[in-house]
Amino acid sequence: MGTKRQITEYLDIDLEKELWCCNRCGYVLISARENYKKGCLVYIRKDLNTIYNSPVKGPFGFAPDPTWAMLVEFYCPGCGTMVENEMLPPGHPVTYDIELDIDKLKEKHLLSGTDKQAKK
Amino acid sequence: MRPDPQKMLQWIKPSPPTDKELECMKLLQPGDYEIYTEKLNNFLLESKEVFLKLGVSSMLRSGDLVTGIYTPTGDMVAAWCGTYLHAVVGQIPIKYIAETWINEPTVGCKDGDIFYLSDPLYGGIHNCDQIVVMPVFNDGELIAWTNAAVHQPETGACEPGGMPLTAKTRHDEGMLLSPIKIGENFKLREDLVEMCVNLISRAPRMQAIDMRARLSAADRLRGRLVTLAQEKGNDFVKGLFRRIIIEAEEGTRHRIKEWNDGYYRGVTFVDIVGEKHRLVRNFLTLHKEGDQLTWDFTGTSPETDSPQHCMPHALAANVAIHLMSYSFHDLPVSAGIFAPMEWIVPEGCMFNPHFEAAQSNSAPSCHGAMTLGNICMSKLMFDSPQRELVAAATGNTGVGVLVSGTNQWGVPISDFLAFGLNTEGHGARLDMDGVDAYGFSHCPTGRAPDIEDIENEFQFFNLVAKLSRDSGGFGKYRGGSGTEVIYVVNYVDYALYNSHVKGSKIRNCMGLFGGYPPPTLPGIEVKNTNIWEKLKRGDKDIPTGAVQLISERTIQGDYEIGSIFKKVHIMKNGDLWVIFSGGGGGYGDVLERDPGMVMEDLRKEVISRWTAENIYHLAYDHETLEMDEEKTKQLRQKEREDRISRGMTWDAFEKEWSQLRPAEEILEYYGSWPDGRKTREIIRM
Ligand SMILES: [Zn+2]
Repeated sequence: MGTKRQITEYLDIDLEKELWCCNRCGYVLISARENYKKGCLVYIRKDLNTIYNSPVKGPFGFAPDPTWAMLVEFYCPGCGTMVENEMLPPGHPVTYDIELDIDKLKEKHLLSGTDKQAKK
Repeated sequence: MRPDPQKMLQWIKPSPPTDKELECMKLLQPGDYEIYTEKLNNFLLESKEVFLKLGVSSMLRSGDLVTGIYTPTGDMVAAWCGTYLHAVVGQIPIKYIAETWINEPTVGCKDGDIFYLSDPLYGGIHNCDQIVVMPVFNDGELIAWTNAAVHQPETGACEPGGMPLTAKTRHDEGMLLSPIKIGENFKLREDLVEMCVNLISRAPRMQAIDMRARLSAADRLRGRLVTLAQEKGNDFVKGLFRRIIIEAEEGTRHRIKEWNDGYYRGVTFVDIVGEKHRLVRNFLTLHKEGDQLTWDFTGTSPETDSPQHCMPHALAANVAIHLMSYSFHDLPVSAGIFAPMEWIVPEGCMFNPHFEAAQSNSAPSCHGAMTLGNICMSKLMFDSPQRELVAAATGNTGVGVLVSGTNQWGVPISDFLAFGLNTEGHGARLDMDGVDAYGFSHCPTGRAPDIEDIENEFQFFNLVAKLSRDSGGFGKYRGGSGTEVIYVVNYVDYALYNSHVKGSKIRNCMGLFGGYPPPTLPGIEVKNTNIWEKLKRGDKDIPTGAVQLISERTIQGDYEIGSIFKKVHIMKNGDLWVIFSGGGGGYGDVLERDPGMVMEDLRKEVISRWTAENIYHLAYDHETLEMDEEKTKQLRQKEREDRISRGMTWDAFEKEWSQLRPAEEILEYYGSWPDGRKTREIIRM
């Protein structure tokens, strides 16, 4: 594990290198000070009948209306794990959902007891 | 004068302890805190049972209610939940009464007084929620307050059902009571009861009975607290109450401190404004620093001329349902939990509208925000000792199915059909599926009413009431299934029906960490049917589910498939309709779901074969339903490779995505695109 800290089901942060990494395959996504989604492969699922096989077609069914919503899927480029997805109206900006205070996180886990004392 | 909205928001937090209270805490001997906290909880449980057994409206009987204990200054000490939101906002009218009416010579406050209110501008949620408040005196000293609250699905508004979709201002919303003294000497004043019953003339019986049920519950609690004070002394009660609040505050701060500092953001979309399908967004930035949480809803769409608004304190109370049932579930349900929290709700957004705005749909307007609270807290708690509390969002559809007219007993009614309301799917969890048909988004403990009871009370026959296939969000762990019900108008010539259910265009429920959100929910009605003939003949082809109803069409009639959201309209005898309650969000990547669990879902028909094959990439024998593990592994590996080949780089994605935009028509109320800023003034008459 080294200096990695698991932050979500599929994402670790390498504290020393300040990088988002895939928890499953170790693939390095992007700087931990960036939105991890920018380091993923991204797929726009426009036809949601491919997920929700609606027996009702037309503007009202079991799949969202594509003029209202599309699913943006984020994959790990190393192993193809779906790290996260977002149901968004077409063109709506992707959310920067986890913006951690990396300095505090490093301080919490990397500094030894004496370093922490000294910092106080 | 009405309290300022920002002041009401601050009133959710506990007042600072007085020197006297700190002194009184020393009266507690070792073990007293544990024993007497439990005693208070038993008092609450008893008062809840009294409440449940005396009332008649459907939500009351489903247990979607609260009884609570508050300090003399109005800080929440303990509550039976029930509806956590009502416990939280219960503080506000008490603080208002304490500040305004106690020292007002024409009102005052003495032993045996009964206060009553329903207006959100004085601390309620929406005017459906009627709240009784009683002071508790012992030896002439005010030692506490008790309350009892439950939603009442009729308000005398411009439409039946208490949540009129056509309301443009508060003047369309019927009875709105600022806190009034409605009784003295432990008795309701019959002239004022008559006024309320008269205002609720679509369902007078419900108003007359449920007012008394609320009072009985609050008074039973009051009586128990007086006995406690007589036994242990008023000072002991003061010390106990303050200790509970401090324990909750310290526990909350300690827990927050352990979590990772940072910003956690989320966005949800709602598809209803007034009577139209229109897009609005809810945006949350949750900032965690040290032992503080700041809930910032900047970026939420502006107020509209619809009733889908709420006051900032109501927003906070709805978000708090998740805090009290997950993150801080093991701490006392008290004001202490809110001490380390700030709420930023910009003026003019749908969660902080002008006071003239209609807000009878306050509770349903918060479902998107409730999802955001759930999801942001889960992201915050993953890397923490609370990891086991991580979960995707609950259905949050708010299955408001409202019926009115005269029932088979000749009684005028206006009520919820509360089965769907109390059977939404639960969000999938870190280590297991969400609970199927788990409960009500505003009340985790609510239970669906018995079908036989519904048929006995109301003019409807339940053709189907069961789990809805493929309704939970797919994932490594599956969102809990929602339900589907088919209602047929029975006994009477006609009934009125409307539905506030959201999610026909886009759902405001989210999955987590790659788990999918649940499917949308269509509306289905069949009019002029031959259902009674078929049942009389004993036909074998009566549908047992919604999909079967619309795909096989063995019942003759005029089929209408549209939005699940319906304005009030007439349904004739034999007409039928389907109501879905939404499933919960999924957790994690579908390719990581244990194939054995997929097989199990298939056997139980919780999912379809199509889903097993196309979503979970399961290989199995269609005859014997035996799984092919090796083939499944290969199919899943193939899907991983397909993902990598179809996925775009961020830059390529941005280039394509930024060209897209929803149709202008659906953005009518959204505000500026995409950031939801206010773009116009709302003029209310
Ligand atoms: Zn990977």
